[in-house]
Amino acid sequence: MTQILFKNINMKDLHTMKVYEEQGGYQSLKKAFDQKPDEIIDAVKASGLRGRGGAGFPTGLKWSFLAKDVFPRYLCCNADESEPGTCKDRELLLKNPHMLIEGMILCSYACRIETGYIYMRGEFHDLSFIMDKAIEEAHAKGYLGKNIMGTGFNLEIYTHLGAGAYICGEESALLNSLEGGRGEPRMKPPFPAVEGLYAKPTVINNVETLCVVPYIVNEGAEKYASLGTEKSKGTKLVSVSGHVKKPGNYEVVMGTSTREIIYDLAGGIRDDNELKAFIPGGSSVPMLPASQVDVGYDYESLAAAGTMLGSGALIVIDNKANIVETTLRLISFYMHESCGKCTPCREGTRWLHQIVERILQHKGQLEYVNKLEDICDNMAFKTFCPLADACVSPVMSSIKHFRSEYEEYFKNTPVGSV
Amino acid sequence: MSGFTFSEKQEEEIAGILAKYPFKKSAMLPLLTLVQRAERVISPEAMVAISQKLDCSPAYVQSVLSFYTMYHTEKVGRYMILFCINISCQLNGCDKLLEYTADKLDIEVGGTTADEKFTLHREECLADCTNAPMMRINDTYYGDLTEQRIDQILDSLD
Amino acid sequence: MSDNEVTLTIDGKSVTVPKGTKVVDAAKQVDVDIPVFCYHEKIGPLGCCRMCLVEVEKMPKLMTACTMDVMPDMVVKTTTDKVEKAQKGVLEFTLLNHPLDCPVCDKGGECPLQDNTFKYGPPDTRMEFHRHNNAKATPLSPVITIDRERCIACQRCTAYSERIEQDRGLVMLNRGFHNEVGTFNNEPYDTRFSGNVIDICPVGALTNTDFRFKARTWDLTNAETLCANCGCNCNITMGTRLNELLRIEARPNDAVDDGWICDKGRWGHQFVHSKNKILTARENSAGGGKPTSFPTFPRDCTIEEAAGKVAEAFKKIAKEHGPESVGFIGSPYGTNEENYLYQKLFRQGLGSNNIDHKPYRDTPGLPIDHYGIEQIETANVVLLIASDPTEELPILDLRIKKAVTGCATRLVSLNDQKIVLDKYSTQSVQYKVGSEALAIDALANGLARELGEPAPTQDVGLEQTGISAEDMKALVETVRSSMKICVVYNPSALSGDAVLRVKRLLKLIAKVPTMECGAIPAAPATNAVGAMDMGLLPDFYPGGVSATDQEEIKKQWGEDTPTTNGLSALEMIARAESGELKALLVHRSNPVIDFPGGARVEKALRKLDLLVVHDMLETETTELAHLVLPSSGPGYDEGTTTNIGGRVQARKSALEATHAPDWKIISLMLNALGDETEYQKSLDVTDEIAKKVPGYQGINRRSMGKSGCTRESTTSTDETIAEQPTGSGEDGSLRLRVATFLFSHDKILDASSKLAHHFLSFTAHLNTEDAKRLAIKDGDTVLLSNEDVTLEATASISNRCQPGGVVVPRVSDWQGVNALIGTDGTLARVEVRKV
Repeated sequence: MTQILFKNINMKDLHTMKVYEEQGGYQSLKKAFDQKPDEIIDAVKASGLRGRGGAGFPTGLKWSFLAKDVFPRYLCCNADESEPGTCKDRELLLKNPHMLIEGMILCSYACRIETGYIYMRGEFHDLSFIMDKAIEEAHAKGYLGKNIMGTGFNLEIYTHLGAGAYICGEESALLNSLEGGRGEPRMKPPFPAVEGLYAKPTVINNVETLCVVPYIVNEGAEKYASLGTEKSKGTKLVSVSGHVKKPGNYEVVMGTSTREIIYDLAGGIRDDNELKAFIPGGSSVPMLPASQVDVGYDYESLAAAGTMLGSGALIVIDNKANIVETTLRLISFYMHESCGKCTPCREGTRWLHQIVERILQHKGQLEYVNKLEDICDNMAFKTFCPLADACVSPVMSSIKHFRSEYEEYFKNTPVGSV
Repeated sequence: MSGFTFSEKQEEEIAGILAKYPFKKSAMLPLLTLVQRAERVISPEAMVAISQKLDCSPAYVQSVLSFYTMYHTEKVGRYMILFCINISCQLNGCDKLLEYTADKLDIEVGGTTADEKFTLHREECLADCTNAPMMRINDTYYGDLTEQRIDQILDSLD
Repeated sequence: MSDNEVTLTIDGKSVTVPKGTKVVDAAKQVDVDIPVFCYHEKIGPLGCCRMCLVEVEKMPKLMTACTMDVMPDMVVKTTTDKVEKAQKGVLEFTLLNHPLDCPVCDKGGECPLQDNTFKYGPPDTRMEFHRHNNAKATPLSPVITIDRERCIACQRCTAYSERIEQDRGLVMLNRGFHNEVGTFNNEPYDTRFSGNVIDICPVGALTNTDFRFKARTWDLTNAETLCANCGCNCNITMGTRLNELLRIEARPNDAVDDGWICDKGRWGHQFVHSKNKILTARENSAGGGKPTSFPTFPRDCTIEEAAGKVAEAFKKIAKEHGPESVGFIGSPYGTNEENYLYQKLFRQGLGSNNIDHKPYRDTPGLPIDHYGIEQIETANVVLLIASDPTEELPILDLRIKKAVTGCATRLVSLNDQKIVLDKYSTQSVQYKVGSEALAIDALANGLARELGEPAPTQDVGLEQTGISAEDMKALVETVRSSMKICVVYNPSALSGDAVLRVKRLLKLIAKVPTMECGAIPAAPATNAVGAMDMGLLPDFYPGGVSATDQEEIKKQWGEDTPTTNGLSALEMIARAESGELKALLVHRSNPVIDFPGGARVEKALRKLDLLVVHDMLETETTELAHLVLPSSGPGYDEGTTTNIGGRVQARKSALEATHAPDWKIISLMLNALGDETEYQKSLDVTDEIAKKVPGYQGINRRSMGKSGCTRESTTSTDETIAEQPTGSGEDGSLRLRVATFLFSHDKILDASSKLAHHFLSFTAHLNTEDAKRLAIKDGDTVLLSNEDVTLEATASISNRCQPGGVVVPRVSDWQGVNALIGTDGTLARVEVRKV
């Protein structure tokens, strides 16, 4: 299978400038600098690359939205990888930091940006040392700093650490956090492309997204676009975790069947149990039952199946697992991570938690399930950012596909007991 | 309140941090992290010192730090154990292992050992799901945990 | 429809509003009510509470009407099933953990949460678990109680602290469900403007500690009146019950207060029930000491009788010793009606121009436009001269901050001390204490040079001001290149004839081509502008008519009125000391404490044959009076006041007084002296002012309405100014600047005041240079002395002023700091030494 991001991922010392360059690293810069910035943006558009952080917004289009003639502009690389089940960016940062730097240089050149920040979640402190070292090496080589390779183009890249808040992965919350504030999401509009970091035009891209850019510049947009499905181009890193024999990050071409990922790449279900359900794109997307395991792993196919590709975290759940318990764990996560700004999210996540907890204690009533659905309806799409929607996903999808598991808890519950 | 001063080395580090940003308030998290790592706690006095560095109110510093889970207003142990309990780890039996660890250290989850060596916290996903169950102790990630491996890891720390 | 307008449809009604209007505000214009909790027009959108969700055609999700700008042809629906379900859902969430202790909640009856639930809420809750318990009533400050259980985390209050006060004292702490409103380290939230969070809290989470459990809100009688604590004249509502003042709230008026009041406005009116309130006329057995020509005052004499007798006594003295032997010190705190009548009494009734209301020099009118407070927002440059709005006129502080941070206004200042607002200014130029005349002239000269106008004075003395030539040049350039400038100057902080130099500067500013300009004479006292307008001046009749303008005066005021300049307040004190002034009437003024001179003022007043003090509270001056008359004062009185922006507004009574109002007492005095006008009510005087006072034509109850109207500013006359401003040499002593402090411990904020926690101790602010020379360290106890007195203070080495000066905030009446100034009111020099 075509490997773009993970081609040499386990090569010894890939994180050093020497090895990275030996493998063709930083070759794209020269190519890029021979072109006009807008040509790079056009190429990224033509490649069909979409944001790998979760929302899947076309990357080239995002870059072209920057407010005209407003400077300075900023690039923020979103390395706040916190979506449960997702650990692909960590592997890239750990093993191939130069690839990200190269991608950031290309993006900055294309968007005429002179300052970039890599916002890493606080728990990645270890990776920040690796990243800082790589940045230093790139400086020494003249790939960063003033007048890069004699082009007159200047760029500084800095790492910035968060401090433990899932919500900072939301791009506008990330900006608030980077500006030294609480990671509460901002109102949109204005969108970051118009008023982002320090109220200046800002590009925010996920680590994986930026890492793809050198390939597009080196190999051409067509080559990238030739991979994948009609609307989902290229490859995707998938973090496969849960009840599989070989959990790990795998790079797959868009459109690969989920069955192939679970059974071929990840070795199938652990202990030879049976697949019960899977969450294809991180905890924020609806889960699917085993019956849909043949769904293609791409944006459109997953959407058609009623879920999303999200961040590319495939969480596999076997038939021994308790879906209600798993759902409670996810509600608990969103309750803990809600910033508390919007009433439906702040109050709703906690209420859902209280109810599901009761159900698990056999203290619920049958109508609790309907109530859960209605509360979810009152939360979904009514808040500032998608965190509430994300919390609703596991609840609604688990009820949809595994309603009987909830109902099981009420069999011996006397009517009216709370 | 003037009970907190930065060391000379920290002042240098702070100057380096401030140089990264066009607006100094951006240095909020880095400065809080600096203090947290050095002191294992962020005292009100330190908040005042940071507010002076960044030209904002101490209330704002407290508002920001209380938003993030990695800052502590009560002193934590020399080893901060963040034990992931999120979905991938849960599916792989982290709950029992967390209980095991708490029993081993003879503390409640969230507590600190009497000798201030360990603090054990339940933590949301740490982005190492393919190595679940996992934990982070200070800056190091430990995956594929078992009771034996936990024994080994904790015993190896001095 | 202009380019700046947008037409949209809300619930089938078409509405055209300015671009940038939020949907929620546009809806109000067509009487569509979109419920909100977190949105506040003055604070701006937050988007927290989600109460205002509406359906917008072509948008898949419901949208928050408070965060969304109107768009052309937008179709908004607020009553669809989808919207109603969302509203019910949001209210259910909001109420999930709200305690529903409405029966004992102060917000009850005026609570948006109650009202929105009533109108839009679900009939029931499906919450069947225990509500989350949180801290009930705990003090957020000595005057604000916070009930964290009632808080719905809408963030209005914290956004207010961030966006309006701009000091982020009140913040959100923690995250998610554990979010709570709090302060640093649980310290009190006690800013100058903290009380506004009570008004804006949409639930009973932030309540007025003083008002807690005093009354149900619907049982209050609410008077729409004015704050009487400074020259801003913010609009307030006084809520009373059984003739007791229970609370004060802001009553938004964009032209004055922008919807906010300071804490002194909110909690600084308790003097209405002070035990020191003067309620009856009385002869002062303790005071005086020497026999007077005053007729014996019968024991059961009514105030009305007393008024007549006072008039007769003054008449008798004026007859015996000439009209120049009687005088009147009026008040910048009195209403226009009181001030007008008193000057009429002295001019028409007694033939004396010995009338004044202040211990400093000032002249009525301006050579350029008199700007209203709201003009600050549209000015691109605001120049402060000798003004410290934060302490002197607090609501002006908020307006300036709003202008600087939200309207691209540049703030520059020319001051003798550092002020809080320096943080917002692009340039703060500091002159040495006492050198304002030189500094102002230097600015005028620089400007004249740029404009090719003749320089008003010779170029001397910039070095004496301590200002560098570059700084002055930059300031000149800012003024010259401004598009619209608003000069805010405080006449009461200008010594000597500096105020005349400011006016000369203003005339020059008017000559800058293509520039719009105006000024705000920003004296701190409540009705300082009105007192000037009403002619409480020895040299000007009402409306800025010169006292020597014989023709005009005879026409307006009759043949017998005086047409020579009378004595200023300080001159009257001096003549009292020398025995030339025999009788003095003092209205709502306390010269013993507030005028320069201290004990010497007291001594002078004791020499008078007759001292009548007409005041609302007992003071050091009433103690000396032979006769004391009760004045109603704010809370009880009715009348108009003119604020620093020239806005005339009606002050209404909230409480019933037990004695005759001031206007009545004065009119009885007038009647006793032969005036035949029968005023039935205060408004009759207002009507007479409209007829007689230039600038006040057409001002009556109707034109003032609820929010007041602007009076026409008169043009100031050119005064002769000494050619060379007097500099001052160095002799090692320090020049004293008495600075205003908002929460001064005085008669208004007495020991029982709710704001007593703000009181400060006596501090002297020194420059490092002087401190070093005098071997004084921060925190040392120092003595400040002149020939007459020595006062003790704590030194603060704060560089608040330039070397050679000392700044002493006036923190209390008992501090007696004015005793350090000579009775002539000129620049005071004090020796400062370490104990």
